[in-house]
Amino acid sequence: MGGPDESEQPMSARPRARTVLLPALALLAVAAGCGSDDGGGSTGEGDQIELTYWTHTHPPMTELNEQLIAEYEEANPNVNITYETIPNNDFGTKMLTSLSNGSGPDIINMDDSALRGEYIPKQLLAPIDPAAFGADSVEELEGRYVDGTLDGAKGDDGTLYGVPSEFNATAFAINTQHFADAGLDPANPPATWDDVSEYGQQLVAAGHEGFNFVYLHAGWYTQQLQTLLNETGGSILNEDGTGSALTEPESVEALQIWHDLIREDQVGDADTASREATSPFEDFASGRRSMTMIYPWAVEQIAIDNPETFENLAVVPLPQVDPANPSGRWYGYYFAVNKASEQQDEAWKFIEYMTSQHERWLEDVSFVQPLKDWEQSPAAADIPFLDVWSQAYQQGKFDEVGPHWSEVQDAIKAAVERSIFDGQPPAESLEEASESVEQSVTS
Amino acid sequence: MALTRTAPGRARTARARPPGSGASGWRRRRDAVGLVFALPALVLFAAFAIYPMLRVFQLSLYDYNLTSPPVWVGLDNFRFLFGDERFLASLGASLFYVVVTYGPAVLLALVLALGLNTRMRGSAFVRLLYFAPVATSWVAVSVIWRLVLQPEGLLNQTLNTDIPWLTSSSWAKWAIAIAAIWKEVGFFLIIFLAGLQNIPKDLQEAAALDGAGSLRRLRYVTLPLLKPITVVVLVMAVIRGFQSFSPQVVLTGGSFGTEVINLFVYKTAFASARMGRASAVAVLMFVLLLMVTFVQLRALRKSA
Repeated sequence: MGGPDESEQPMSARPRARTVLLPALALLAVAAGCGSDDGGGSTGEGDQIELTYWTHTHPPMTELNEQLIAEYEEANPNVNITYETIPNNDFGTKMLTSLSNGSGPDIINMDDSALRGEYIPKQLLAPIDPAAFGADSVEELEGRYVDGTLDGAKGDDGTLYGVPSEFNATAFAINTQHFADAGLDPANPPATWDDVSEYGQQLVAAGHEGFNFVYLHAGWYTQQLQTLLNETGGSILNEDGTGSALTEPESVEALQIWHDLIREDQVGDADTASREATSPFEDFASGRRSMTMIYPWAVEQIAIDNPETFENLAVVPLPQVDPANPSGRWYGYYFAVNKASEQQDEAWKFIEYMTSQHERWLEDVSFVQPLKDWEQSPAAADIPFLDVWSQAYQQGKFDEVGPHWSEVQDAIKAAVERSIFDGQPPAESLEEASESVEQSVTS
Repeated sequence: MALTRTAPGRARTARARPPGSGASGWRRRRDAVGLVFALPALVLFAAFAIYPMLRVFQLSLYDYNLTSPPVWVGLDNFRFLFGDERFLASLGASLFYVVVTYGPAVLLALVLALGLNTRMRGSAFVRLLYFAPVATSWVAVSVIWRLVLQPEGLLNQTLNTDIPWLTSSSWAKWAIAIAAIWKEVGFFLIIFLAGLQNIPKDLQEAAALDGAGSLRRLRYVTLPLLKPITVVVLVMAVIRGFQSFSPQVVLTGGSFGTEVINLFVYKTAFASARMGRASAVAVLMFVLLLMVTFVQLRALRKSA
């Protein structure tokens, strides 16, 4: 009775072996499971080709992408494309992280600031393959596009890494019904920011939100300030990009315009503005807001979101600080290929197909792919306010970028928020931002 | 029980049988089997917890942007952080969040636990109500509170105010604290209730017989006996507070003075691709939390 109790009796050889083997097999299974995900794009099943393609979220674009992918897969039965949309607020972070660790998609569609600021300097992208586009050289391919419009996907050495999926200029949208409500003439839209203030106050008196900017993520804050900076002659960085220029009078003037419109003239309420990144123009589309800065792609979204607002929509030239010397802002999204992709040739072939459908991009989702004479295409003839857009494309320039640009954008967002939401004078707010920007670009 | 019964048997067997056989050999084999069973979990824990932690310590001494090979910089990342206003501001935001959220949350949980530690009709249901927010994900809770805190949301309508809860540096951090208190009270309430139910009833009865009123029983019996649980709660509160991330992301995106330390680490690592600097922040926070926990435990031991 003094020996081990029954529950502790030594096991027979067979159960013991089973007890040892089962966990060992489980361990092997776990190890095998961990090792089976090679992260590659190919299934290794004969000639079957697997491609992955990521974009941000924009419902009309997503729908067209899905259509085009289905068509491409039908025409190329050996190709399977996995398409993913990433929520806009997380898009930059997820894309950069995945590309950096080699697990990103084969094909990306990304804005020029991210390409020039992060992906190209970090050598994450494959140089363009002109042969996939039926061109003998990059120069021949470039020759098909409006001059300068491919610069958004070029490195400092001039190497080209992508072609535009959409190319945007900036204009201004007004709700003609709201104008009529306020006794304003839609045929005489605001030409300056002072006009926006004056008209805005009348629209507020008529029960509308006169005008406001869009308050989403840091990229949106920066691009809107950049639009104003282009007009005032200010900039975020100094000429050689080694320090901040935010405290220069022209730069302060840009934020002052924003501050005065919202804080002093109260043509809009920043606190109640929509913060839905998937639908940036929700406040205008819903019929709450009367005036907004706008890009070509937004027109289609407004038409989908609220046909009534679309009926009353007029696109007019962007208001200017100096109408005699107009300025604007360009930005583009570009199809590009992950340098780590094992399917680069197939990826470029797919991109060639996507860009060959430029008429449908224009017709279905108002995306301009700036091939030469795009304004003369049959699809362009049906684009509302084509004359305004054509003019806007004549006076744009790409945004500035520099080292650690996401930190710079965060600093600008914080500066705008201090000034617009908390009421801090723009000069003081930019002084604070300037220190952060200096630190980001130099460390 | 098993050990006291088996010890003599083991001694006899050890003399009678060669080493490695009998009860002692069997025990070693049993331990080996146990180890094999535990091995998959241990391997996963080592791969996904221990190794990344060690890598963070290592990376904190490097400049690493994910795409280029890491460059040794020694303590430069730490030196930079001590002079970085954004880091110091995020540390301040975290401290504010810990104090303003978890101070009231713990106090409220204690008061509610004392109230609910009775056999009243429906008390189980009331406990369930308080625990429901704990079982809900942070993101879901934050989305709900984003609606409540809108300019024309429930809170402003109830208070008949016009406060920009989520778009003002004066209010945003308080707004997040309100939402977090609502979510976290239930968690500590359950712990306090468990502690209260472990206090022997005869002590309360003896104190009552000696003429102690309810307040004196609370002060001289309940609270002292609840001290170990209270310290555990405080340690957990500090750790949970410093680990906060989701409410700030969902409610403000870190704007208006609500960029807490974890959000700063996330942005530094994955938006700015400064992995070394982000790792240095993580190491500093590890050391800070270790020190705070140590001080709290020492305080418990002293007062015990």
